[in-house]
Amino acid sequence: MTGTRSKSFVLWAIVWFDLILLSLPTIIIIGASFTTGDIVQFPPEGFSLKWYGKLWLLDDFKAAFFRTLYVSLICTAVSIPAGTLAAIGLARYRIHFQTSLQVYLLLPFTIPLVVSGLGMMIFFGDIRILGQLWPVGISLCIINLPFMIWAVSASVNGLDYQLENAAANCGAPPLQGFLTVTLPGVMPGVITGALLMFILAFNEFLVSLFLTDARTVTLPVSIYNSIRSVITPDLAAVSVVYIVIAFIAVLLLDKLVGLELFLKSK
Amino acid sequence: MENSPPLVELIDVSKRFGRFIAVDNANFSLAKGSVLTILGPSGCGKTTLLRMIAGFESPTSGEIRINGEPVQAVPPYRRSIGMVFQNLALFPHMTAGENVTYPLKMRRFPPQDIPELVERYLGIVRLTGMKDRRIHELSGGQQQRVAIARALSFNPDLLLLDEPLSALDKKLREEMQLEFRRIQQKIGVTTINVTHDQREALVMSDEIIVMADGAIQQSADPVSLYRHPSNMFVASFIGLTSLVKGTVVQTEGTTVEFNVDSTILCGNAGSRFEVGQSVEGAIRAEQVRIHPEQTRPEEMDNVLEGVVSEQIFEGDRMVYQVQCPSLGSTPIFVFDHDPTHHVLHRKGDSVVLSWNVRDLLVYPCR
Repeated sequence: MTGTRSKSFVLWAIVWFDLILLSLPTIIIIGASFTTGDIVQFPPEGFSLKWYGKLWLLDDFKAAFFRTLYVSLICTAVSIPAGTLAAIGLARYRIHFQTSLQVYLLLPFTIPLVVSGLGMMIFFGDIRILGQLWPVGISLCIINLPFMIWAVSASVNGLDYQLENAAANCGAPPLQGFLTVTLPGVMPGVITGALLMFILAFNEFLVSLFLTDARTVTLPVSIYNSIRSVITPDLAAVSVVYIVIAFIAVLLLDKLVGLELFLKSK
Repeated sequence: MENSPPLVELIDVSKRFGRFIAVDNANFSLAKGSVLTILGPSGCGKTTLLRMIAGFESPTSGEIRINGEPVQAVPPYRRSIGMVFQNLALFPHMTAGENVTYPLKMRRFPPQDIPELVERYLGIVRLTGMKDRRIHELSGGQQQRVAIARALSFNPDLLLLDEPLSALDKKLREEMQLEFRRIQQKIGVTTINVTHDQREALVMSDEIIVMADGAIQQSADPVSLYRHPSNMFVASFIGLTSLVKGTVVQTEGTTVEFNVDSTILCGNAGSRFEVGQSVEGAIRAEQVRIHPEQTRPEEMDNVLEGVVSEQIFEGDRMVYQVQCPSLGSTPIFVFDHDPTHHVLHRKGDSVVLSWNVRDLLVYPCR
């Protein structure tokens, strides 16, 4: 009796410790963003929304925010067809060099981001597209594509492989069968993967650091740059906007496909 | 009057996957309107055969003809074949009605006719009013019916059933077997059914093909198949059959005497045997009579003494497993249907078994 109680106490203690540890940075930032003072501090000094009000006046951050949005949308838009078709192809068809192809597609995940960033910087410089914004979106798509492939693969593997035969048996030519049966079947994975890709691109820092300059700087890089000069609470407010967007994405995911599938797909 | 060609015809059809021979030189033809069951243990090639007819696999050699036309070059979506898949393969993101509508749309039926056809086929499978249900909201039996309606709604020339009943429990399975029979007779669609369930084959078919190791063993109507199995495999696969091995000592007409361990049995030979040839005898459990010790059954040709080693109560009958010392270690299975006065033989009881010569079928050893 005592044994069970002390065991459950220890378990609860660990759970609470973990929860606090995980959420502490977020709580501190959220708290700090409401300060009335002029420096980032926790607990905050008083309560005001003045730093949020000021956000709209910070043109640098606002421009960086929209650039980040643009880059993330490109990344998501490219990853949806690429990741979906790759995942279906790898799971469904007997392809030559299947294992090598799989490894190749997951390779970006195993290479340190610093190396990827440097490589892409050199390559983009060579073909003279360094300094433009859209290649950043493509790069983020490349380095995060494994997540898209994993998410869709989970859906494809859960899909009855006979469905395509059933569609053919019903009179659907291959392309039509794919569009009307296979694609709707893997949709939960596609949605999960797309939201994941969006969030990952939205938050990405290291590779963007290599690929952007003062004119094309994205929000994470922009925040990093300001930390190196003056740390003011508007940074905390920007961070909170970030957290809110991530949170909305998770809510969206839960609403659209359910978090269960998202967690299972990993 | 001109004879119409058989609806389906297989000519020397073989299928190899690498070195593995899945289907070995299959030949059969199927007349319009009949129900054929391909029966065999799992892995015997029956599903591969069905998938070749549907067009999902192509034969390594040989030819498949439908309505007299070779179909090698015809892709599955242009064949007029409805199929009920083993796991049903219903489209999970569609309702029951949308599943039945799908083939009609894909096969370009006039849009104004579609709703009526969907209603009609849902009616035939007794799912009227279930049109808007999602697939996962339906019970196993109802899903089965949606799959049948989807396979039939476009009025195909041929219906293929790939063990669709195997996942159901026994009671539902037996209900669905009769349901299939009812629907088939109502619509008259030519059907090929694949199963490993001998009862299903006997209940549902006009003709049965037994397959083993990729090869067709026998093709016959259910009654002939059960009463006159053409070889040892068919005899042992259908019904509960006891097998005894021995050596021929004498033949006379269709009667063959063969030596098993320390006794001589009389059996009914399907083919000619030489003295000294190794043979196997097969006797069905329902053809063996069981009597208490010391009874001498009259007018029985083979009489053996034995000891009950196992006794299984199956409700409507009793199954005994009897060890006969004169047959060595081979057990004999016996059904005892006698609801009025079961003479119960317990485990360890001495009994006398008997059967008629015509019921012990003798085949050459494999």
